[in-house]
Amino acid sequence: MPDLIQYSLYVLLLPLLSFAIQIFFGRRLPRQGDFLATGLLAISLGISLVVFFAAFGQENFRQEWNFTWANLGTMKIQLGILLDKITAAMLMVVTAVSFLVHFFSMGYMAGEPRYAQYFGYLGLFTFSMLGIVLSNNLFAIYCFWELVGLSSYLLIGFYFERDSAAAAQKKAFMLNRVGDIGFWIGILMLFAQFQTFNYQEIYQNIADGKFAWGEGWLTVAGVLLFMGCVGKSAQFPLHTWLPDAMEGPTPVSALIHAATMVAAGVYLLARVFVILTPDALAIIAVIGAVTAFFAATIAITQNDIKRVLAYSTLSQLGYMVMGMGVGAFAAALFHLVTHAFFKAGLFLGSGSVIHALHHEQDMRYMGGLMKKMPITFATFTICLLALAGLPFFTGFLSKDAILAGAVGYANVEGGWAIVIPVLGFSAALLTPFYMGRQWFMVFFGENRADQKPPSDNHHHHGHGEAHHHGDVHESSPVMTIPLVILAAMSFFFVFSPNPLDGERGWFMQAIKTPQSVVLTNEEKSRLAAEVMTGALSGEIGKNLRQEKLAEEAHHAHGTVVALSVSLALAGLAFAYLAYLKNIGAVASPFVVISKMMNWFNDTFMEGAFVRGVGSLGVKFSEFSGGFDRLVVDGVVNLTATLSQIAGLLFRKLQTGRVQTYLALALIALIGYFVSKLI
Amino acid sequence: MILTLITFLPLIAALVILLIPKERKQAMRWISLLAAAGQVALAFWIWKNYDPSLAGVDDASKFQFVERAAWFSVELGNYVVSADYFMGIDGISVAMVILTAIVALVGVGASWTIEKSVKGYFVLYNLMSTSMMGTFLALDFFLFYVFWEATLIPMYFLIGIWGGKNREYAAIKFIIYTLVGSVLMLLAMIGLYASVADPATGRNTFSLVAMANQQNFISGSALFPTAENHLLRTLAFFALFLAFVIKVPMVPFHTWLPDAHVEAPTPISVVLAGVLLKLGGYGLLRINFPIFPDIFQEYAWWIALFGVISIVYGAFCAIAQTDFKKMVAYSSVSHMGFALLGIAAVNSLGMSGAMLQMFSHGILSPMMFLLVGVIYDRAHTREMEKFGGLAKYMPIYAGFILVAFMGNLGMPAMSGFVAEAFVFLGAFSQEQTRILAVVGTLGILLSATYLLRAYRTMFTGERKPNAAYEVKGHHGEEHAHFHDWKGNIDMDGREIALLAPLAAIVILVGVYPAPVLDLMTPSLNKVAEILSAATNIALK
Repeated sequence: MPDLIQYSLYVLLLPLLSFAIQIFFGRRLPRQGDFLATGLLAISLGISLVVFFAAFGQENFRQEWNFTWANLGTMKIQLGILLDKITAAMLMVVTAVSFLVHFFSMGYMAGEPRYAQYFGYLGLFTFSMLGIVLSNNLFAIYCFWELVGLSSYLLIGFYFERDSAAAAQKKAFMLNRVGDIGFWIGILMLFAQFQTFNYQEIYQNIADGKFAWGEGWLTVAGVLLFMGCVGKSAQFPLHTWLPDAMEGPTPVSALIHAATMVAAGVYLLARVFVILTPDALAIIAVIGAVTAFFAATIAITQNDIKRVLAYSTLSQLGYMVMGMGVGAFAAALFHLVTHAFFKAGLFLGSGSVIHALHHEQDMRYMGGLMKKMPITFATFTICLLALAGLPFFTGFLSKDAILAGAVGYANVEGGWAIVIPVLGFSAALLTPFYMGRQWFMVFFGENRADQKPPSDNHHHHGHGEAHHHGDVHESSPVMTIPLVILAAMSFFFVFSPNPLDGERGWFMQAIKTPQSVVLTNEEKSRLAAEVMTGALSGEIGKNLRQEKLAEEAHHAHGTVVALSVSLALAGLAFAYLAYLKNIGAVASPFVVISKMMNWFNDTFMEGAFVRGVGSLGVKFSEFSGGFDRLVVDGVVNLTATLSQIAGLLFRKLQTGRVQTYLALALIALIGYFVSKLI
Repeated sequence: MILTLITFLPLIAALVILLIPKERKQAMRWISLLAAAGQVALAFWIWKNYDPSLAGVDDASKFQFVERAAWFSVELGNYVVSADYFMGIDGISVAMVILTAIVALVGVGASWTIEKSVKGYFVLYNLMSTSMMGTFLALDFFLFYVFWEATLIPMYFLIGIWGGKNREYAAIKFIIYTLVGSVLMLLAMIGLYASVADPATGRNTFSLVAMANQQNFISGSALFPTAENHLLRTLAFFALFLAFVIKVPMVPFHTWLPDAHVEAPTPISVVLAGVLLKLGGYGLLRINFPIFPDIFQEYAWWIALFGVISIVYGAFCAIAQTDFKKMVAYSSVSHMGFALLGIAAVNSLGMSGAMLQMFSHGILSPMMFLLVGVIYDRAHTREMEKFGGLAKYMPIYAGFILVAFMGNLGMPAMSGFVAEAFVFLGAFSQEQTRILAVVGTLGILLSATYLLRAYRTMFTGERKPNAAYEVKGHHGEEHAHFHDWKGNIDMDGREIALLAPLAAIVILVGVYPAPVLDLMTPSLNKVAEILSAATNIALK
């Protein structure tokens, strides 16, 4: 086993160790073991940094390790680890954010019930998430995929005494299962064809043209795999679980429901990217663009500080998915990484605010926190500007690259595809607007805590003590230090020397769009034509479509920079006018769109889709239950009654059940032999 | 000797208990526990010494720990009927033997709180335990039949005397249902005896090993595989099939199960779900399919279809239940459907998935029924609407519930997932069952629906207004208590001791199934070979 693989196994297993210790012994340890869990994560982070630098220090880094997990004689199921630069980057992101969240939680969660368990669940989550990243095959990634779902379930429902939290955890699990069924059938399709789960072997088989069912079914397989992403990354139409998932503790929202788990869908797309057909990619691009825009509109009228961020996360995940769809592979992964840091910073920042305000989450009763919480304000601002897409911050670099890809895609595809960059740029205007709104409502103006109606304690966390409003002050260093680190990670120079172009940065230089292995019908006929005309050059295996996309995206870069900078500034300016200067005319067009989308979301997505299908299922099951009792069992009872009547007629023969039966059996036996002898 | 010992150890215990005065309840419990623990020790020894490279199935020399002796010989005119005491283990039975020993021991532990005529209870329990073990070990059809029948009578009394309010109805339904199956099995058995000869002696035989090889059928006999005997073979096949799928149980022959479970006391539910249902699946694999591979081939799609119907229909019915135990019973119907689907796929993955599902369900369903028992003992009700918010007051119980629920809904790293995943992979790889496998994936969603619904209703959220438990004390340090329950509010040491090992097995097998899988694969591959090699004689 190569050294780095071994290191990555330690990275993987240390959080699992933390889980085991916390669940079984946590409560008996001093400080309920929080320092132990955090310490184990620190070691895990340290080792993954070693792996990270080793990987990015080499030109073409790729290591794989397999073992036989199950041997069925006729076939073996092999599982293993794949380490490449994508994995190395993800290892670093997951362990870094997880460590910071552990650290932050020591302050934020202090005094909460089930404190030890909380750290255990974080460990379980980190382990499963790292498993997703390290797997070299679809079987293992599916297993860890479900396990992050489990830890998400446990953590959303951490305050399970609250009905809203209990409902949210169940909803998250169920909607994810819907997506996972598609994901699983997609895996079944590929396995049935190739008898393997290994990524590389699947790529190779498809490149060799061994997918026997034709391009149409390969598109279906790709879309089914994408369904896993739709569930986990909360894409339209399975998105409604993520805002509700904010019922979990805020650090959990930062780690699982913003930075890492929800981005796993994008990571999955990266792993199966090369086998996605152009049709499948088009569907992915549209779903991503719709999610990016749709969620951004809803965010505008949310009043809960966390729900704004949740819809923002949906929107940003939409960007990443759209990026994959339009072929901006590296840009999408880049956005995954930058988003992980600044969004974790925003969530932990909001956690710092919520903590300081004694679990007040409604922005209408905040305001004026800039002076009272200077560190939180400064770090929140930096992360916010990164999210809003302002130059000099990381978010700009990655979002810009995705938008360039979208423009390139529209140029190549033509026609309907223009919808994708239009939705993308619209969301780029809305993002700074809703974030600006949040910024002004929380940190600027006068404090409005006294405007809160006394009965409205919806988000009360079950603390018995009376609220101490008024004495708001900055959070302790255990909470502000992670904020400072995450804010620092949001400056452009972390990833690129050029504040306006991420292409030159180390990330985009190291991670390149892989060659698609799908030989589409179009490609086949092109190749055939070239063979016929003798024009076949060294171009075999080169995907012209991908090259064209990359080229167009590159050309679009300048325009996109200009456009997205102006949109970002405009969005912030509108927010300033609307929510600090209170000019209603500026706000109202945004609010109207937002209200419409909210209505659509509540009526159709929540109402018809989630609750409607849910209650239909319950109705049908009630029918099945009744059918089983009345009809299936009814027939049985009827038969019994009839034979009882028959029994009355033959009463003289009946001397007792067992005897009769034995006698009958004997008669049958004798009868048979008699017939045989004759 | 080892197989005789592991089978009849509980019988010896039963005989000893008969001699003890009936006031000495504790002694009876300990004797039963000792016998069951002895079985587990022997099963462990078998597991360690079993050579997984030998396939068995249709080759008597590839069976292990074989014991064979002439049992009886009856002359009927010039016709001689003789049966052997023939026991042995191969990959089809080894996992079931281990499972039976474990479940029987857990069942004794769960019987500790039985106070009603303890002597009779443990005599019957041990009788049942002996006959269950014997059924899995018998390689002579007649012996198998005797053990098979011998499980029914104790079960009838154990439900009918120690059961709940409606126990007599449930017990009679159980016995009639299974007796119908038994009569059919008896007829098929007689027909097979007349048609199969032992290759060693050339005489008619009840040997299941000989029957599994089509070459041993006597030319000209009623069940000799030729086109003109097709109808008779089909009838014999379905006679056996019905006998076994009633036990599995397969929809629509399942309605005895919810009734039996709801009325049965906890330990009997544990044994019923853990072992007795597996007798059905085992019978299909050991007897029904290898002996009639041609007929099996003909109806494999239909068997798969009914497997999927069981998965989906059972799960829908489970969603409709308000009684915790009834929900678990229907979930058994749903999960055993996977075994049928897997077998019908006739490949390594499907077969091992099916067998693994029987093992996994054999551990998970006892867990579930023990957990139902924990709350029923305290609250005297199983209506899920009568709780709410229990996780706060019973954290250990909620923890075990989560493990069992997650195992049941197919969470990876738990045994149920591996089994169901293999079944899906196997069934989907086979063109014939591909669509059925896709429909079956609905089961993944539905099992999550009823289990998470149950968890939501009983364990999370707030205490229901009409809950079966009360809460006292100040805010922040409330204590819950059940009306007349004097023990721990949360699980006590005995309950944890019963559940923790099962939870550990579920997780160990889920993470690394090889130790269980390796035991069975050579034999299952052999069965798959026999089944897929058979061609449809009717068409020939």
